[in-house]
Amino acid sequence: MSPQPQAAVGAPLSRVDGRLKVTGQAPYAAEHDVEGVVHAVIVDSGVGRGRITSIDTRDAEAQRDVLRVISHRNAPKLPYRDNPGSNNPPGRRLRVFQDDRVLFHGQPVAVVVATTLEAAQHGASLVKVAYDTERPSTDLHEAERDKPTTYARGDADAGLRSSAVRLDLTYQLARNHQNPMEPHATIARWDGDKLTVWDKTQWVVGTRDELVTVFDLPEESVRIISPFVGGAFGSGLRCWPHTVVAALAARETGRPVKLVLSRKQQYFGTGFRPSYEYRLRLGSDRRGRLTAMAHEMDAETSSYETFTETVMPAGQMLYSMPNVSQEYRTVPLDVNTPLWMRGPGFATASFVIESAMDELAHKLGIDPLELRRRNEPNEDESNGRPFSTRRLRECYTVGAREFGWHRRSSRPRSRREGDWLIGLGVAVGVYETQRNQAQARVRLDADGTALVETAASDMGPGTYTSQTQVAADALGLTMRTVTLRLGDSLYPPTPPHGGSQTMASVGSAVLDGCDKVRRQAIELAVEDRESPLYGADADDVVVRGGRLHVKGNPGRGETYRSLLTRNDRTHVEAGGSYAGASKPERHSFYAYNATFAEVAVDAKLGLVRVRRMLGVYDAGRIISPKLAESQAIGGIVGGIGTALLEHTVTDHRDGRIVNANLADYLVPVNADVPDVRAIYLDGEDRKADPLGVKGLGEVVHVGVAPAIANAVFNATGRRVRELPITAEALM
Amino acid sequence: MSTESVSAVPPPAEPGEPSSAPTRRTFIATTTAVGGAAVAGGVIGGSFLVGSEEAAAAPPASRVSLTVNGTRRTVTVDNRTSLLDLLREHFGLTGSKKGCDAGACGACTVLVDGQRHNACLTLAVRLEGAEVITIEGLADGDELHPLQQAFIDEDAFQCGYCTPGQIMSGVGCIKEGHTGSPEEIREWMSGNICRCGCYVKIVRAVEQTADRK
Repeated sequence: MSPQPQAAVGAPLSRVDGRLKVTGQAPYAAEHDVEGVVHAVIVDSGVGRGRITSIDTRDAEAQRDVLRVISHRNAPKLPYRDNPGSNNPPGRRLRVFQDDRVLFHGQPVAVVVATTLEAAQHGASLVKVAYDTERPSTDLHEAERDKPTTYARGDADAGLRSSAVRLDLTYQLARNHQNPMEPHATIARWDGDKLTVWDKTQWVVGTRDELVTVFDLPEESVRIISPFVGGAFGSGLRCWPHTVVAALAARETGRPVKLVLSRKQQYFGTGFRPSYEYRLRLGSDRRGRLTAMAHEMDAETSSYETFTETVMPAGQMLYSMPNVSQEYRTVPLDVNTPLWMRGPGFATASFVIESAMDELAHKLGIDPLELRRRNEPNEDESNGRPFSTRRLRECYTVGAREFGWHRRSSRPRSRREGDWLIGLGVAVGVYETQRNQAQARVRLDADGTALVETAASDMGPGTYTSQTQVAADALGLTMRTVTLRLGDSLYPPTPPHGGSQTMASVGSAVLDGCDKVRRQAIELAVEDRESPLYGADADDVVVRGGRLHVKGNPGRGETYRSLLTRNDRTHVEAGGSYAGASKPERHSFYAYNATFAEVAVDAKLGLVRVRRMLGVYDAGRIISPKLAESQAIGGIVGGIGTALLEHTVTDHRDGRIVNANLADYLVPVNADVPDVRAIYLDGEDRKADPLGVKGLGEVVHVGVAPAIANAVFNATGRRVRELPITAEALM
Repeated sequence: MSTESVSAVPPPAEPGEPSSAPTRRTFIATTTAVGGAAVAGGVIGGSFLVGSEEAAAAPPASRVSLTVNGTRRTVTVDNRTSLLDLLREHFGLTGSKKGCDAGACGACTVLVDGQRHNACLTLAVRLEGAEVITIEGLADGDELHPLQQAFIDEDAFQCGYCTPGQIMSGVGCIKEGHTGSPEEIREWMSGNICRCGCYVKIVRAVEQTADRK
C-alpha cells in the first residue's frame, strides 16, 4: 500500500481529552456513578508482624449505617488460584482475610462496610484488634540476603587489580513511593455471578485475571473498567489486595461497594521503589578507558514475594569495558511487596554508575562528557548485538551547546553568587525499548467516522491523543472524526501500560487495524464500477480527510461516506494486532538521554535549589511532540524529587512508615521547579517497531538524579552517595 | 453566576431521627454548652453523645444552605462531612478531587466566597450562606474559562487528577494578584501538587491568563 500522508503524527496537538479534564468531567475510578453504592474502609494492622488474637467489631457494628464488618473470622475461604503470566512476583501473594497472620504494618485485617462514608470511616476506627506481636525485620542492612542473581564477563576482580585507577564506592538509595495524585480506588458490583469492577489500574487485563483467579471465576464473568487513571508511575501495574477486598465486600453485602485507599494506606496498600545498598567498584586506565566494574546490589523485598527489577542491564551495556561482574540480592523484610516505579531498575543503576563516572572524571581530570565519549561501545557488549539506534554522542553535543556546558568549571566550589555555590552536572539515562503483543479493534462507519477500541490505559502520557494521531493518519481521517476508547477489559487485550511500551505495542496494533480497514475500503473502491477509483491500482490509492484518491491525482477519488453508502455497507472493521519483539532479537534496543543540571547550594545551610535542567533524548520517532515535551519535563521533575526530597521512612522498632502522608513525604512542588527544557533528537527506529518509537515515559526520568548529584558535587566539592541529598549531608 | 432553583438534596442518613436519639436541636444545645473542643471529641470519638445503648442512633446532622456554582442547595448533612465529600458523594460533583484528605495536596481546591479553600479541610456544616465555586461552575456554558483554555493550550496537565484543583487555585492566584513574576506564581501555586510534574506549564498558563486580564 502507498504510505499515508502524515498530518496528525508529529504535529504539536493538544490533548483530545483536554476539555474533559479541565472541566472536571473525566471520571476516575471512584467517580463512576454506580447506583446503590455503599462505602468500605479497610482496618490496617497496627503491628509489623505477628498474629491476630482477637477482633472486637461490636462497637463498629452497632453504628447506625454500618452494614458489615468482615475479617478473617467471618470471611469465606477464597480459592486464590495461581495466576501465571501476571505481574505478581514469585512467592505466595497476600491473601486477604484468610488467616490470622500479620506480615507487615498496615496489612488489611478487616473492612467496614457502611451506607455512608462517614460511618464506614468511623466504624473502622472502632474495630479493636489484639495481636500476639513479634518484632518485625525491616532494616535492609540487618536482614539476611537471598542468593544472588549474577552476571559476569571477563574477570572483574583481576581487571580491577590491574587497573591504574580504582574506585570503591557504596551508595544508599531511599525507598520511594509512586504517590500518584489519585489514590487507588475500586468500585465493585456483582450481578449474580458476574463481577464488574471500576478500578485504578494500569492493566485492566491483569486486574481481571487476578480477580478471576482469586475468586475462581470464568474469565468472561469479570469486567474491569478504567477509562481514566490519575497518575500511577507503576503503582497500578498489579492488582492489589484492596481490589479483592472491595469485590469480597460487595459479594458479602450484596451491594456495590466503593473502596478508596487513604493517602496513608497508599504507602502500604500499594508498591514502592525499593531501597538499595549498592556497592560499585570500578577501574580504568589513566586516560579514562574503563577496565572493569563490579556491582553488588542489595534491594528490599517482602517476606512473601520476591520482587526484582531490571537493575542489571545498564551496568552491562552502557559503557565499553572487558570485565563486568554483578551480584543482585533481594533482602526479604516484613514489609509489603515493592513494585516498579518510573524507570524501574535503570533509574537506580544509573544513579550509581553515573555518579561513579563523574567521580572518575574528576579524579582523572577529564571532562565528564569526554570520559563518556571515550567509553562509548560499538555494540551491546552483553550480547554482541548491534544497537538498533544509539545516538548518545549527539545528545552530548546538542546538550552541551544548548546548556552552556563550556561555562562549567572543572574545579568544584569555584563559582559563587552571594551565599550560593553554583554547580553544573551531567548524567546519562537509558531504558530498554519494550514491545509486547497487543490488539485493537477498528471500525469505520459509513458516516466517515471511526472508532478504535483497545484495552490500554492512559495514566497521563496521552494515550488517547497519541493513538488517535496514529489512527487518524492511517485511516486518512481528521483527528475529530476518530474516537478512541480505552480501559475496558472487554476491548482487545494489551500489555501493561508501563515500561514505556504502550506507544510501540498498542500503537503498532492500532496502526495495523487502521491499515487493514483502509485497505478494505480501497479494495472495495477499485473493484466498484461506480467508483471513480474503479480499476486503479490499490497500491496507488491514499486517503486524506476521509477522501480516497489516487496518489498525485487528487481529482480522481471519492469519500469513505459515498463509497460505503453506495455499497450498502454500514461499516468496515478489522482487528489490528502486533506480535511484539521478534525472537530472538537481532539488535539491542534502548532509548537514551543526556540530562544536564545546574544547582545552587547555600554554602552555610546546605540547601539545594535546582536552577536549570535540560534533557536531550534519543527516543526514536516522536508521535505527539507537545505531549512528549510534557512527559520529559515531568520525568525531570520526578527526578528532582528522587534526588533531593523523596524518602519513605520506616520505624524499625515496629515496622511503621512514619511519613505516610504528603506533608512529610516530600515531593516537588511548583516552587522547586524552575527552568526545565526537553529536546528530542529528530529520527526514528524502524527496527524497533512499525511506528519507529522507542518509548518515553521511563527514559526521561532515568539519569535525572545523578545529574543533580553531580551538579551538587561541582558546586560544593561534596560527594553525596546517598539519596535523597539532604541539607544535613551538605552542612 | 445566576441563582437557579433551590434543590433540596436528601441527607446522607435517613432524615427521620428515632425518638430515643438526641434531636439536632438538643445536640446543638449540648455542644454549644460544652464548647468547641468537646464537639470535635464527641463527634469523632462517638462516645460522648452516643452512648452504647444508643449506638444505633442517627449521627449528629445539621441543616445547611449554601450556593454551589450558582445553585442554592439546602441539605441536612452529617456533621462529620467535609465540603469535599459533600460535593463528591452527595452532589455528584466529582470534579473536585480527593488526593490526601489532609490539606497537603490541593487537589480539592475550590473557591468559597471567592477565596481558595481546601474543601477536604472544610466542614460542610460551617458553610451556611457560603458561595462555593467548583471546577464544574467555572466555564460559561460551552465557553471555557480562559485559564481552562490556557491549561489545554499549554498542556499544563497529564493525568488530569490535580487539574481542577490547579485551575481553581490559579483562578484564586490571579484574583489575589500574585502573578507579578513566574517566581511569584510558583510560590503562590505551591499548595497544589502535580505528580506528573507539569509545573513549568502550569506557571505559563497562569501567567498568560493573568496577562490577558
